[in-house]
Amino acid sequence: MESWLSWSSLFWAATFATVACLSTIIILMYALAKSQNSQVPQWRSRNTPIHLLVVLGSGGHTAEMFSMLRRMKLDPSKFTHRTYVVSSGDNFSATKAVEFETTDLSKKLNTNEKPASTGSYSIVTVPRARRVHQSFLTAPFSTIQSFWSCLLVLRGLHPDQQSLISSRLRSPYPDIILTNGPATAVCVILAARLLRLWFFLCGVFSVGRGTRPGKPAPSDSQLRTIFVESWARVKTLSLSGKLLLPFADRFLVQWSGLEGKKAWPGMRETEYVGPLVD
Amino acid sequence: MPSPPPPGAAVKVCFITVGATASFHLLIQSILEDEFLLALRRLDFTHLLIQFGKDGQSLWEAFQSRCPPGSEGRHGLEIDGFDFNQAGLDAEMRLTRASPSEGRTGGLIISHAGSGSILGALRLGVPLVVVPNPTLKDNHQEELAQELQKQGYVVASDYRGIASALDRAEGLRAQILAWPPVRGVSQRRQRTLEDVMSDELGFLD
Repeated sequence: MESWLSWSSLFWAATFATVACLSTIIILMYALAKSQNSQVPQWRSRNTPIHLLVVLGSGGHTAEMFSMLRRMKLDPSKFTHRTYVVSSGDNFSATKAVEFETTDLSKKLNTNEKPASTGSYSIVTVPRARRVHQSFLTAPFSTIQSFWSCLLVLRGLHPDQQSLISSRLRSPYPDIILTNGPATAVCVILAARLLRLWFFLCGVFSVGRGTRPGKPAPSDSQLRTIFVESWARVKTLSLSGKLLLPFADRFLVQWSGLEGKKAWPGMRETEYVGPLVD
Repeated sequence: MPSPPPPGAAVKVCFITVGATASFHLLIQSILEDEFLLALRRLDFTHLLIQFGKDGQSLWEAFQSRCPPGSEGRHGLEIDGFDFNQAGLDAEMRLTRASPSEGRTGGLIISHAGSGSILGALRLGVPLVVVPNPTLKDNHQEELAQELQKQGYVVASDYRGIASALDRAEGLRAQILAWPPVRGVSQRRQRTLEDVMSDELGFLD
């Protein structure tokens, strides 16, 4: 029994744990770099329905997001299904989403001559990771709850997503996740990456595929994440931006001072695209 | 003591906004001082509209009891205030835009450095003075204000130097830049959000 607790066995256990941790981190970093530098295979035909998921949150971010969507003239006949993720209690964002859908997108419709082509949209509420004044003791639990809710949203299983079932989308997974940096975006993008990792591992070990025909795995061109750093950020990245720099597939910045930043060597650099807001 | 505006003179509105989330007492205080009100008067402003935010009520009430409407302390200006408008500030911002049919000449917007109000003013094409709030943590507003000033879109000012910023803002009026910026030849290769989304969708070309 004494030999079990001897210093040398403790030393070896510690060494083993360190090596295991380090190699996991290195594998993860390598996988992230590899994934970030990969490109989407070009095999989607132009008129397939597309599901866009937009993460909204807090006044400034939401206003900027709709400003960008208006400026890019989001085409509802192309992005046939829109999901807006708002955090609980954020009525402003939900109102703005409805306003955008009913005024901006249906206005496009009148000029578009294709009446039935605006598709559908849903507004999904996820719990906040941490409410203002919430104790830090309970914060980890609410963060997990929030993360779980994001996973449900991405898999199309959230109760607010009933209209998804009736739409002509074949897969519950959104094609593109677009966000400009509210706190909820961190949860949503990490959840998307976790799902992709999960299905990648399932593919590698050939399990889970085809066992449930109703729930196919997402294809390589689904759950793609685009992070747009807020227009208000000129020289420094926001906290969400710093956290998501290694995870987002595309990281767009609107000021040249933020161009070329990357999480670590070998990772994809931020892309300067000029102001996207109007 | 400046003379009251001649009857029939064009209305010229200065609109000040501090946003909905954070309070900005320092700015509200300095715009209610004589120095600033006199500077407005000197530049032919007739109206001052203040959005003082949720915590600005006490400052506003103190000013009203100190200088009731029509008193000397208002220097002949029509001064009005409100806490916030849930429907957004577009209507208030439009009051600063020149409108000959409504007898208004081009006014001015003074804003905390929140992106929503900056963009609103840039879209309207009205001269804008941006005053970053020094009491905020993680203050990236200062960077935004300085960069926009460098590019000639706005006048950046400290809350203390707001009276002198008025003159600089009047100088901006003659050479106001269009927003959103027109993409020049050098920026043509820059990708738009639509391009980036198409990349990620992997369309067959």
